[in-house]
Amino acid sequence: MSSASYPIVTGSKKGIQLDPRTKLLLLLTITTLMFSTSNEGIMNLVKPLLSLVPFILILSERRFQTAAKYLILYAACFALERVALIWASGLPSFVLLAVTSIMTRFAPGIMMGAYLIASTSVSEFIGAMERMHLTEKIVIPLSVIFRFFPTVSEEYQAIRDAMKMRGIRFGGKNPFLMVEYRLVPLIVSVVKIGDELSAAALTRGLGAPGRRTNLCRIGFHAQDLMAALFCVACFALFLLQPQIAFWGGVRG
Amino acid sequence: MNNKIQAKDLINLGLFTVLYFVIGCCVAIPIGFVPIFLPVLGALWALITGIPFMLFLTRVKKFGMVTIMGILSGLLMGLTGMGFWGVPLGAVFGLLGDLILKSGGYKSAKKSLLGYAVFSLWMVGTYIPMYFMVEDSWASFAASFGEEYADQVMAVMPMWSIILVIAGIFVFAISGGLLGKALLKKHFAKAGIA
Repeated sequence: MSSASYPIVTGSKKGIQLDPRTKLLLLLTITTLMFSTSNEGIMNLVKPLLSLVPFILILSERRFQTAAKYLILYAACFALERVALIWASGLPSFVLLAVTSIMTRFAPGIMMGAYLIASTSVSEFIGAMERMHLTEKIVIPLSVIFRFFPTVSEEYQAIRDAMKMRGIRFGGKNPFLMVEYRLVPLIVSVVKIGDELSAAALTRGLGAPGRRTNLCRIGFHAQDLMAALFCVACFALFLLQPQIAFWGGVRG
Repeated sequence: MNNKIQAKDLINLGLFTVLYFVIGCCVAIPIGFVPIFLPVLGALWALITGIPFMLFLTRVKKFGMVTIMGILSGLLMGLTGMGFWGVPLGAVFGLLGDLILKSGGYKSAKKSLLGYAVFSLWMVGTYIPMYFMVEDSWASFAASFGEEYADQVMAVMPMWSIILVIAGIFVFAISGGLLGKALLKKHFAKAGIA
């Protein structure tokens, strides 16, 4: 994610254009259904379909390498998870099951979140939140959170590299010191960046009285409708799962 | 002094919520692999996040900021698939934490430890499905980690242990707060960001 860019002009973007609210809905559907449901019956179909969503979106942005890596990783874990479920016995299969099922549960959500952050500018995000009539007290912190996830990971990588050069790494004598060596610089640099961001945003009129205008073109189109219908269908299948299994049982 | 929350406060709020959440997750995700550690997860979270939270408190001087942080943390938990119980609990415990901090004028050291410990109780929200929807969560654990894991999780979490979870979060939050205060003195004040 270190190469994440923040497109400013809506018109210059590649790929399927979705409203930020639609992206949030997709993210919510993926994380909720992936995490809280079992692997039985119809969910065997719904889950792989859901995990294809970030793949399609990333592919449409022409980031082929990322898309391929994600697809291969997910497919491998999905297959291994099935293998482990069938031959479930003993410690090795338990470890395999734990690792693969965590991967298959988290990877789609993480990819969708990364896509959401990389493909949406902060302005678009604020515009969408304001359309949802959320109060400023939630919108501003949320957009800062949104802006800072990539920053935290970049800073963390930089600090890790610096520590490596000086020969400080995990597994040392004192794990508490280790935490201190990593956390303190991370917190200091993120807070400094935050202060600068805050000064920049305030001089550009954030928090000024009066209504903010927004240049971003935000609105629902055909692709948003399709994505929303897809989410509703997935939730419906999930909720109707017992009934579907019952009908299946009657027929079989 | 102006007591209304302004844009600058809101930016700080977002900033520290990210730090709070990311640092907490750094601890929670590797530990979450091991079922017997699930009950202490919240406590460890509260321990490590004491560091960013104490720094956050040096910038909180207005009523409501801790409440909003609770709501936002709950929202982030929900978006990452842990269920949305964190949002109402974040609002309630955030508000209680805010009241405690306010009673100390956002300056008292003891009140800030107590306020942080009460605020941390919002983490109980992530345990609600495990305790009050036992069958659902057993099925969910069994499907993704195998029945052995599910049995183990349920075995280490009988109903009465929620009291231990709550007590654990509270006690570890206080130690986390002390840890945060110590680091604050040792590093952050020196670096000029506290």
